[in-house]
Amino acid sequence: MLTDIQCLTLPDKMQLYSILLDAIPSSILVLDENLRIVSVNRNFLEKSQRLMKDTISRRLEEVFPAVILEHTSIKKQVHDCFEKKRLIRGHRMTYRAPGIPIRTYYYSILPIGADDSVRLVVLLMEDVTEQVRLSEEVRRMERHLASVVESAQDIVLSTDLSGRILTWNSAAEKLSGFKFNDVKGHCWSEFCSQVADIKGFLSHFCTGTDVHTAEWELITKASQMIPVSWVVSPMMDDYRKVVGFVAVGRDLTEQRKLEYQLRQSQKIAALGVMAGGIAHEIRNPLAICSSAAQFLQAESLLTDFARECADKIQVSIEKISSIIENLLRFSRPTTASEMVSVDLVRVVQEALTLIDSHAKVQNICVSSQLPEQAVLVNGVASLLQQVFLNLCLNAVNAMQNGGNLVVKFFLYPNSDCVEVQVKDTGVGINPADFDKIFDPFHTTSPIGKGTGLGLAICYSIIKQHFGSILVESIPSKGSTFTVKLPLQKRE
Amino acid sequence: MCKKAEYLVVDDEPDIGWVMKRILGSAGGVVVTLQTGAEVLPMIEKNHFSRVFMDAKLPDIEGLELAREVHKLMPELQVVLVSGYYYKDDPTIQKALSEGLIDDFIAKPFTHSDILKIL
Repeated sequence: MLTDIQCLTLPDKMQLYSILLDAIPSSILVLDENLRIVSVNRNFLEKSQRLMKDTISRRLEEVFPAVILEHTSIKKQVHDCFEKKRLIRGHRMTYRAPGIPIRTYYYSILPIGADDSVRLVVLLMEDVTEQVRLSEEVRRMERHLASVVESAQDIVLSTDLSGRILTWNSAAEKLSGFKFNDVKGHCWSEFCSQVADIKGFLSHFCTGTDVHTAEWELITKASQMIPVSWVVSPMMDDYRKVVGFVAVGRDLTEQRKLEYQLRQSQKIAALGVMAGGIAHEIRNPLAICSSAAQFLQAESLLTDFARECADKIQVSIEKISSIIENLLRFSRPTTASEMVSVDLVRVVQEALTLIDSHAKVQNICVSSQLPEQAVLVNGVASLLQQVFLNLCLNAVNAMQNGGNLVVKFFLYPNSDCVEVQVKDTGVGINPADFDKIFDPFHTTSPIGKGTGLGLAICYSIIKQHFGSILVESIPSKGSTFTVKLPLQKRE
Repeated sequence: MCKKAEYLVVDDEPDIGWVMKRILGSAGGVVVTLQTGAEVLPMIEKNHFSRVFMDAKLPDIEGLELAREVHKLMPELQVVLVSGYYYKDDPTIQKALSEGLIDDFIAKPFTHSDILKIL
């Protein structure tokens, strides 16, 4: 029908224009100079809930509520449009027809006429209620997000790809003493002590999507260094392209203070355990020495008893000396120069031989899976033997009612370490004691039975050999100690 | 009738028993030595000891706990704690003394006269 528009008769054309007008999803009113309504489209009638016959030829104030007319000065603008023959565009108006919710419109007034005269104007009203609602929602979300960042007690900052600061929240201002204007556009690394680290990180992570955590000190306006734990995440655009970074930083000052206090109290607690251990372990032999010496001071002493006293003194002094030596061994590592090539298989074999009879008495089955060839490590044989002897003795002591002791070697291909596992089916370690088993003088054996130095010394010796000890234990099921030592490098 | 005082010495270190036997023997006492707490109650039930000397840390029980059990069984029996773990004015010891849980405390190492003085 539209292709044949040239051929249409006038009534047909009028009908076509009427159809077109009704199809437009905006409200359209055509007014004459007296502000009477000449034409109206369906959209307007629907929105204002009016009928065509009650609208055409009516004056504008009869169709529009007085409140709107006063508030928007539409009448004056329509007059202006006739006078100035110019389009008046983009004004906002809220309108509520009876029985429907409030709507928001943007209206424009367009002059229509031939030559230089304006005979009619069109009042075009677009319903923008949904757009207004959406933009308000967006603004509300933005305000909410901004308030989340501003309310955070942690530093939240963002940078561009080169690390230049784009945003800097209140917590950052408060902690650093620098206002946003002081830092805006500056490189984030300027405000941290580890400049090189940050620059290196930013260049490396430009393309990545990983989250990076680090501890870098923040330099404050007063030139103080504050320890800060950072979590840096790449910031991506809609196309998943990294466009910058978001860094969240937490002030560690309080945490450091607490850690320090905890360390101090742990030291004091460990000292208490040590003092108790030393007291019990050393004052017994001292008491024996002291008594024996007192017996010796008596004049009427029989020769045999005098010798007995002297022997007791000798043995007790040796006991004390060995405890002191173990303490020294624990605190002063062997120097690397004393280390030689040691066959670990032999060391373990010797330890097993030493505990064998003790294990048999306790009805313990000892089995071992040892390599046939030597496993060479760099170390001190006597110290390593002490480690495995201690571990095996602990295992035996954990199985008072018998059980199985298994010693296994693990050599993994392409690994430069050897693992030796000492596994028992004994009482296991109480979870509460787990953190303390390597503390000097910590012992769960009744005092007098164990000095509590065994595992502490094992730990110290293995550390000296650049190895590690791992413990797994299930109460009443048993414990597994795994010693990991670096293999001697082949020349 | 045996007029000699009988003493019980409980210490897991056998040489402390050896020492105490000599000291108390020199004062005319008869000494029985034990190394664990478990043996103590049956022993005091069967014998008439005038004093028990016990260590504070035994393989199977704390000395003070053992003292409490001894008191329950034989309220009249005097208990002396001989220990290297505590010191004379240790709050634990002061409390045990004031509560009458133990009658005396002797710190290791001790002089023989310390022991003989309390007999």
